[in-house]
Amino acid sequence: MRAVVCLKQVIDPLTPATSLALDVQDMKIRVRAAAPPVINGFDEQGIEAALRLRETIRELEIVCIAASERFNTDVMKRALAVGADQLILVQDPSLDTWNSYPVAYALAAAIRQIGGADLVLCGRQGSDWDNGLVPYILADLLAMPLLTLAKRVNIADGKRVEIERVLADGSMTMEAALPAIVTVTSELGALRMPSVAARLTAARKQPRQIALADLGAGAPPALAPEVIDLAIPVTGRNCTFIEAADGPGAGVRLAETLLETGAVRLGMER
Amino acid sequence: MAGILIVAEVDAGVLRPEYWELATVARAVSASIPGGVSVAVIGADVAAAAQQAAGIGPDTLHVIDDERLANPWPEAHAAALIQLCGELSPQMVLAPRSILGAEIAARLAVRCGWPLLQDVVQIEATPDGGLQAVRPVSGGAVAATVRIGAGPWVVVPRPRAFAPAAASAVAEITPTRHAFAPPPFATACGTPQRVAVQGLSVDRAKIVVAGGGGLGGPEPFTLLREVAALVGGAVGASRVAVDSGWVQSTMQVGLTGKTIAPDLYIAVGISGAIQHLVGCSSSQVIVAVNSDPAAPIFGIANYGVVGDCKEVMTAFRDTLATRAAQAGRAV
Ligand SMILES: Cc1cc2nc3c(=O)[nH]c(=O)nc-3n(C[C@H](O)[C@H](O)[C@H](O)COP(=O)(O)OP(=O)(O)OC[C@H]3O[C@@H](n4cnc5c(N)ncnc54)[C@H](O)[C@@H]3O)c2cc1C
Ligand SMILES: Nc1ncnc2c1ncn2[C@@H]1O[C@H](COP(=O)(O)O)[C@@H](O)[C@H]1O
Repeated sequence: MRAVVCLKQVIDPLTPATSLALDVQDMKIRVRAAAPPVINGFDEQGIEAALRLRETIRELEIVCIAASERFNTDVMKRALAVGADQLILVQDPSLDTWNSYPVAYALAAAIRQIGGADLVLCGRQGSDWDNGLVPYILADLLAMPLLTLAKRVNIADGKRVEIERVLADGSMTMEAALPAIVTVTSELGALRMPSVAARLTAARKQPRQIALADLGAGAPPALAPEVIDLAIPVTGRNCTFIEAADGPGAGVRLAETLLETGAVRLGMER
Repeated sequence: MAGILIVAEVDAGVLRPEYWELATVARAVSASIPGGVSVAVIGADVAAAAQQAAGIGPDTLHVIDDERLANPWPEAHAAALIQLCGELSPQMVLAPRSILGAEIAARLAVRCGWPLLQDVVQIEATPDGGLQAVRPVSGGAVAATVRIGAGPWVVVPRPRAFAPAAASAVAEITPTRHAFAPPPFATACGTPQRVAVQGLSVDRAKIVVAGGGGLGGPEPFTLLREVAALVGGAVGASRVAVDSGWVQSTMQVGLTGKTIAPDLYIAVGISGAIQHLVGCSSSQVIVAVNSDPAAPIFGIANYGVVGDCKEVMTAFRDTLATRAAQAGRAV
């Protein structure tokens, strides 16, 4: 049984806006300093979901696939260090795009080329463009059922996938026959740390590089809106700091200020 | 051919509040999109919600009422919407950015090969018959302006980015009922387990008191609950507080949590990461309590207190309690 986990290489989402450089020629968001990228956080959780499944399904093969213009191999190899069996990097200049279709076409072609998957795990969204669209296109291209926002993933009798789906006010269970695609959300929990032994094995493993041209991915439809401008929004407000001798004093002053300005009204005054 | 089709999402029998915001968007662009404004109500036992939805005075109202649509089952709801779009051929579909709404919008867009404009905070029709929109990306750190040519399009406005439209009570409209005829389903779902919310829920409250990593554990949330009770508000949380297991994920505010715009937002022990701010930055007044004077949260706060959250909030609660008791006696 094979699980494919789709990994997107993104700029660190905790990069402060002041360190972002907007390239309004190419419509790309870049980082000013040479800060390394990261594996999209939700995708790391996709790896974690696969590793948990392998705790009971020992023969589960975990293949990670990433598509990008270029890779930071050290960063991506973290997938191998935590226990993935294979890492496939699909590289092409056209894959650094906010357009989800070429990316999904490349991923679908790569999955077909390795002989398919029983389960495809994706993150709920990429933290760069926040699109959350690739898994939908992938499900359509691979003709697989799609289950989204999983905080728990389970495979029953090797045939069905069951998830617990997060809702705004709770959760619900969902299921589908394999092969299927599942997207995971942060509630699933963080990716485990690699063990020393695993890290050593991983150091000897190399990712497999595939050029997009060798995949025969086909031409994606032109459906994405065109980005015509990027800007850092101005969100600042003028902060009035409440001065006081100590913490409790500040708490009292804060309460008084909010009552005076009418921001807070108490029971009877309402 | 229909012009604009608004998806009126019904959640546990109740019309979701984003519906009125979608109506505002529809009105803003309807002059440029011929065919009028239609509403789709999809669910089970939705008669009351459909009547409420008619309050915006749409040209037509379409209902798919079917037992299989009782749960927020994405595949079934998407099938119903795709079916309606096949029958009505709308030029623009407007769906709410709820968990279900965003999903069925994506499924519709991919299935029909229509462009999807997600999370838009501004939108206008362009003279060439296309659309131009602004949407936050990178967790809200960047605003992208996007443009698309001729429709049909699927548009998902950001919650709270557009003012809710008022209901124009006069609407007398007979809904058109459509029998649900979905293709075979590939997924199945169980009944939702809804978490009982203690007190008000964050997305309905006028005042939200939210706690983050700085609280250090679940106990200080009791203090926040007491403050919320005094001011008639709700308790919210950052993702760190949720991921640490201190509070339920239903309380999370931010990019992957709830987008809220209360009159007053009090952020306690929350650093102000962009993915948190994108969910609360439209609040009218923001108060930040943080021990680090350099915390980014102060950059979008109207009032700031640099200090320990327990010290500050204990005195804050006690002062409000005293004043509330005095006010009670004065009456
Ligand atoms: C794709 C993506 C989506 C995300 N979605 C969300 C989301 O929806 N919502 C969300 O909140 N986050 C989200 N995040 C996470 C976000 O980036 C931050 O990690 C998170 O908001 C930090 O939470 P925090 O500020 O509570 O915790 P921390 O970063 O731990 O900050 C704690 C703060 O408390 C202060 N503090 C410490 N001790 C005290 C004390 N005794 N008294 C007062 N203050 C104190 C510290 O100075 C610090 O500022 C997302 C991240 C990504 C990448
Ligand atoms: N370039 C990519 N390479 C690999 N996986 C991707 C890529 N882009 C998106 N994905 C997957 O699709 C999910 C949603 O991404 P997106 O639709 O871009 O927001 C991500 O969490 C990944 O699992």
